[in-house]
Amino acid sequence: MNRRHFLRGLGGCLVALPLLEGFRADGARAQGTTFPFALFMRQGNGVQQATSDGEPERFWPSFAPGPIDSERLAADSSRALSELAVHANNLSIVRGIRFNDPVNACKHSGGGNQVLTAAGASDDDCNSTLALGESLDNRITVQLGTPGDEPLTLFAGRKTGYLDEVLSYRGPRELRPAERDPFAVYQELFALSQLAPDEFSRLQLRRTSVNDLVREDMLSLLARRDLSLEDRARLDLHFTSIRDLETGISALTTDEQVANLQAAASHLDDDAFIESVVKLHCDVMTLAVASGAKRAATLQLGAGPDDTGYEIDGVRQPSFHQISHRADVAGAVDLHHKIDRKLLGLFKYLLDKLAAYQVPEGTLLDHGLAVFVSDVANKFHDYENIPYLVAGRAGGFLKTGLYVDAGGVTNNKILNTIGAAVGCTNTEGKPLDDFGDPSLEKGFITDLLAGA
Amino acid sequence: MQVWRSYWGLWGLVFATTAFVASCVGKVSGGRSGEGGGGLVAEATVSRLSHWEWEQTIRELFGLDGLSISLVSDPLSGKAFDNNQSALRVGPALWRDYQAAAETVAERVTSDATLLALLAPVDASRTADERATAFIETFGLRAFRRPLVASEVTARRALFAQGQALYPELDPFVAGVRLCLESFLQSPYFIYRTETHEASRDRSKDSLSDWQTASRLSYAIWHSMPDQELYRAAEAGELSAAAGIHSQIERMLDGPRTAASVERFFEQLYDADQYQHVQKSQAKYPDFSAEVARDMHAEFLKFTDNVYQLGGGLRELLTSTTSFVTPRLAGIYGLDTTTLPVPDADGFSRVELDATQRSGLLTLSGFLAWKGTDSQPNTIQRGVFVTRRILCQPLGNPPEAAQGASFADQTTNRARIEALTGPGTCGAGCHGLYINPAGFAFEHFGAMGEYRTDDDGSPIDASASFEFEDGPASYVGASQFSQLLGGSLQAHACFSSYLLEYLRGREGGPEDAALVENLARSSLAGASIRDLLAAALVSATTGTELTTGVEL
Repeated sequence: MNRRHFLRGLGGCLVALPLLEGFRADGARAQGTTFPFALFMRQGNGVQQATSDGEPERFWPSFAPGPIDSERLAADSSRALSELAVHANNLSIVRGIRFNDPVNACKHSGGGNQVLTAAGASDDDCNSTLALGESLDNRITVQLGTPGDEPLTLFAGRKTGYLDEVLSYRGPRELRPAERDPFAVYQELFALSQLAPDEFSRLQLRRTSVNDLVREDMLSLLARRDLSLEDRARLDLHFTSIRDLETGISALTTDEQVANLQAAASHLDDDAFIESVVKLHCDVMTLAVASGAKRAATLQLGAGPDDTGYEIDGVRQPSFHQISHRADVAGAVDLHHKIDRKLLGLFKYLLDKLAAYQVPEGTLLDHGLAVFVSDVANKFHDYENIPYLVAGRAGGFLKTGLYVDAGGVTNNKILNTIGAAVGCTNTEGKPLDDFGDPSLEKGFITDLLAGA
Repeated sequence: MQVWRSYWGLWGLVFATTAFVASCVGKVSGGRSGEGGGGLVAEATVSRLSHWEWEQTIRELFGLDGLSISLVSDPLSGKAFDNNQSALRVGPALWRDYQAAAETVAERVTSDATLLALLAPVDASRTADERATAFIETFGLRAFRRPLVASEVTARRALFAQGQALYPELDPFVAGVRLCLESFLQSPYFIYRTETHEASRDRSKDSLSDWQTASRLSYAIWHSMPDQELYRAAEAGELSAAAGIHSQIERMLDGPRTAASVERFFEQLYDADQYQHVQKSQAKYPDFSAEVARDMHAEFLKFTDNVYQLGGGLRELLTSTTSFVTPRLAGIYGLDTTTLPVPDADGFSRVELDATQRSGLLTLSGFLAWKGTDSQPNTIQRGVFVTRRILCQPLGNPPEAAQGASFADQTTNRARIEALTGPGTCGAGCHGLYINPAGFAFEHFGAMGEYRTDDDGSPIDASASFEFEDGPASYVGASQFSQLLGGSLQAHACFSSYLLEYLRGREGGPEDAALVENLARSSLAGASIRDLLAAALVSATTGTELTTGVEL
């Protein structure tokens, strides 16, 4: 993010800026106030889709690939993707994507290795394999951010010590650790981590008091009858920005909300809290991209094999991983389908946030991308027909409102498409078309390109 | 060129040219913006401080320096100036920055007893409450650039009272000041200049209060807050009368703070900041370095300042041969480094350039190098810049077929340009009338701005004919072309419209046509930039009163 520095250089001491240290950037590229970004949410264990042994199709739309809209997707209510019906116009559903490396090891490990890297997996033992290339969130951050920037790498759910983080790679074999505590992430993002809890609380109180007065000033200005429409729109945006940064992140504005956020930190291993934690992570991710602090983030739902016991129909269920393998769980197929719906519902929460967030040029969803992926395809944890759901237009680079069958191409093409959409380039300075394993065929999912 | 310019009969040629040319320029309202005019209600009533204005204002408010504060960059709007309101919005990222900046500044100021005493002098005769109120009223006036209304004072007294609880580690008075400073600096009344028209619903009357007039003057000239004298004049009601405004304009233009603003006008109008980023082929230009690029930028600033300080106008900008060089630049101009005059403190020697080769800012090394590839002159870019930025002649975007087009193998740069864009090519319209003739004038200048007598052994042809709005004119070389530009009403009108845009922070509309023409004719007749500024400021400050006749 491009920032201009002021009030420095004419002598005097240089005072550290406590709230911006986390996202200051010199000399970075910039074209606007909101920068294209990509957020990735990952589901483990595959989705409940049709398999060779006769399991019914309950994930992909029942209609043929082509345009989608809210009405059509909602009407397809037997399919899990109907959960995203309200965002159909902002969404592209992409099937027909596969991983290149069959990985002669455990599928969970190899899937996590490849889903955001399109690189091969190392030949380590089962579940110890590592990606042999960087992940796309890393590429976006390194190429478009400021030197030293790191993508936001988040995790919700229990860690088991067995294939925990799987998504984000700094480079070959360099798996990036993830942060589970949304409150810690928030503090880190805004360089508040050095504040003691009581000082943090006082800071929130001060900001609330000051903002109350600033809001009064803004309302008095907006009350003037002789404002032009253009000026009113300009002030409305400003007013909304204040409000959203106070309340858009659904915590942090009152003692109670801060307490809730802090409380989540002590329940990170409690399956009953995973949905709350996911939502808080979504809030933080939204704030991070809105403020320009981050250009890319990953949010991993559960460990490699997600063992979370999700609550379905009011009942805490067995491990999702068990359910996904249909292992001694009654009604496992239905449960898997309902878990798919629940997790898509959490993705919808993120889309709701992004779509509601007004920035000078539209909404956040107009300017960036939110991507939902499963790192294995189905109950067999195959590597064919991996779900990639791409929401947002990245400033007009991508089409939306589409259901696309990519025809069985390797996942480097969808990652190229996402990377190029947010501004990444290849070594020749052209839109990124060669991400991942260099042996793979270059190119994009052209049906998604607005200019195609 | 904007819609409003079509109202100006002098520019009728735009409509009279062939259909092919019309397709070249696209719609007549294209040009450097096209979206600015067209409405009678053109004047913004709420203007956000540009980042530079914000910085200047903070410095002025506190006498503060040495803080590390960053604000997210405003979008690149494609406009000439960074105070153009069309791009200045406050989104979440900038709001967060404003919040952080306010907290940082407030902390710094209240941690420094000297700075604090300047804002809230200790007065033993006052109670703490009275001192707090005095601080709120006096600082509030300076921050909001007008006296606070009673409700604003009351609200801030209430906030002040919370200081002790919210900053328990601080002295209660200091804590109150700190909280109030945070609120002042985040208030829209600080971030925006507000000009509302309560007294009159008729926008054409432009009925500003004295306080608003003081702000408008101050931000137009200094791009910063009013000084004490302006506040005094506002309080005394002197800015309701033209005489009072004239008096302040003269005082301000003669003061030392104006030069920085004028420098910024030239730098942005001519994109001279870009000179610092020029790079050249080390194989062809082994002496070129980043230091040379920085010297080019500094030379431009010294050149324009010299013209301004000596009472020059646009004609002098385009024709002066007095420049300032370092030993690193001297070679570009064919000067002997051993005979350079004594340099100034920055290492620049004042020199007279060869008038047969050089004429004004378009023949300075910076412009020529910036509009050059790493080893060749960039004729098309030179021509486009002159056409658009010096003459405000609208040009459409290049056709798609031009994307990625490459030059053929002709022996000279000019021959290559003509083969690609000359008669019989798809570029014949824009290039034939405007771009190429303007660019060919500079054929004698290589990629670093050095004068050359041949092009890799082939003779140079710098002759051309440009289609000015009042008719075609022929010339040979950059000196003749610059002389023609200096005598062109079109160039003076273009310059005048940019000057107004800079002062106002917005592009003009149809209602400005008479004023622009008036300024342009005065400029053509020899008015100095300073006098043009004064005339434009009178208009910018007093609205439409003087648009029918500015006397210079």
